[in-house]
Amino acid sequence: MSRPPAKRARPMRKPVSRTPVWVLPLAVVAGIALLVGAFLLIRWYTTPVPPSPLNVDATQRVVTAITAISASELDAVGKGTANNVIKPVSGTLLTGPNGHPEVFYLGAEYCPYCAAERWPMIIALSRFGTFSGLKTTTSSSTDVYPNTPTFTFHGATYTSQYIEFVSVETTDRDQNPLETPTAAQQALVKQYDTSGSIPFVDFGNRYAFSGAMYLPDVVSGMSWQAVADALQQPDSQQAKAILGSANLITAAICKLTADQPAPVCSSAAIQAIEKTLG
Amino acid sequence: MTWQKLAVVASVAGLAISIYLTVVHYSTIPLACPANAVVNCEQVLSSRYAVIGDSGLPTSAAGIAWFLVSAALALLRRRRALLAWSSIGLLTVLVLVYIEIVKLGAVCIWCTAAHAMVLLIFLIALSRLQGDTVSA
Repeated sequence: MSRPPAKRARPMRKPVSRTPVWVLPLAVVAGIALLVGAFLLIRWYTTPVPPSPLNVDATQRVVTAITAISASELDAVGKGTANNVIKPVSGTLLTGPNGHPEVFYLGAEYCPYCAAERWPMIIALSRFGTFSGLKTTTSSSTDVYPNTPTFTFHGATYTSQYIEFVSVETTDRDQNPLETPTAAQQALVKQYDTSGSIPFVDFGNRYAFSGAMYLPDVVSGMSWQAVADALQQPDSQQAKAILGSANLITAAICKLTADQPAPVCSSAAIQAIEKTLG
Repeated sequence: MTWQKLAVVASVAGLAISIYLTVVHYSTIPLACPANAVVNCEQVLSSRYAVIGDSGLPTSAAGIAWFLVSAALALLRRRRALLAWSSIGLLTVLVLVYIEIVKLGAVCIWCTAAHAMVLLIFLIALSRLQGDTVSA
């Protein structure tokens, strides 16, 4: 009589996988590295090429167009869609070499927010004096809001019988050093621009602001001439943002000049904004 | 150090970074961060993507909540839940990294440090669960 075959003992454990534990995490890390590489490639492919700066004549046409905007159109826009970031500050009145109240600007050519803010600054300051030597440029191609069309204050001069305008553009659009603020200017920035943001603008140590009054995408992808044309239409998005910002800056300067010149500072829109500045 | 301790340490580190970024958002404390062509925390944190929708709530506030939950799951040894939670976190991180690189063209090193903590927690959760499956 034969014995029944003995039952095979069941294994105590399931068979161990041959794949080492570290393989899956490593595969995840490799996958993420590939994704990051793909993101970098997308960025490289989608970074737009900046438009060439305008020649002297074309630049002058644009500057003339934006600085000749009528007082009635500026009044019609009022504050527009601009964000009032101007804050009152206290300190000894800041004056320039000729004894007039000084408007001090610190920015950089690469900075898209500076690019946006130069449009209203030029419009507002041109109501008190005259710029010469302005050149067109664009913000950095690799920064947020790339290639925002603008002008540079580097190499430009400004004359006025009411105020003095001092500008420092710290770097060019590729972030190469351009101008260095003096020790006194650095002290101003340290005192009033605690966040360290640019652009920073000080209105004679009476008012100051940092950052832009509107987002640069308002003029994104536009040519300088297209922006100038849009500013002739009070209902355009660009006019509401840029002329609104220009009115805010104008009102701050009027506070410095004791409302001079009267034709600029006595307008209803500027007077209304002045009351909100504190 | 056990997997549980490592996950808790990573969660606490991520929590500290998120709290720091949230405090900076709501105060005038300057952000400690170098600025060059690639690294620019200010640019990332002042962008419209640095807040959740129109709420004004900084993204880092969501990070505080996320790291608190991941620390709790690690302490309670809820491995499957931690893997699911960290998967959601990792997907969110990938979206944020996409925004930094493609949309903004700038990297915030504090955000990257927090993202690295999310990835570490995910890898810990993944390897632990995989280890459990193998030795079950």
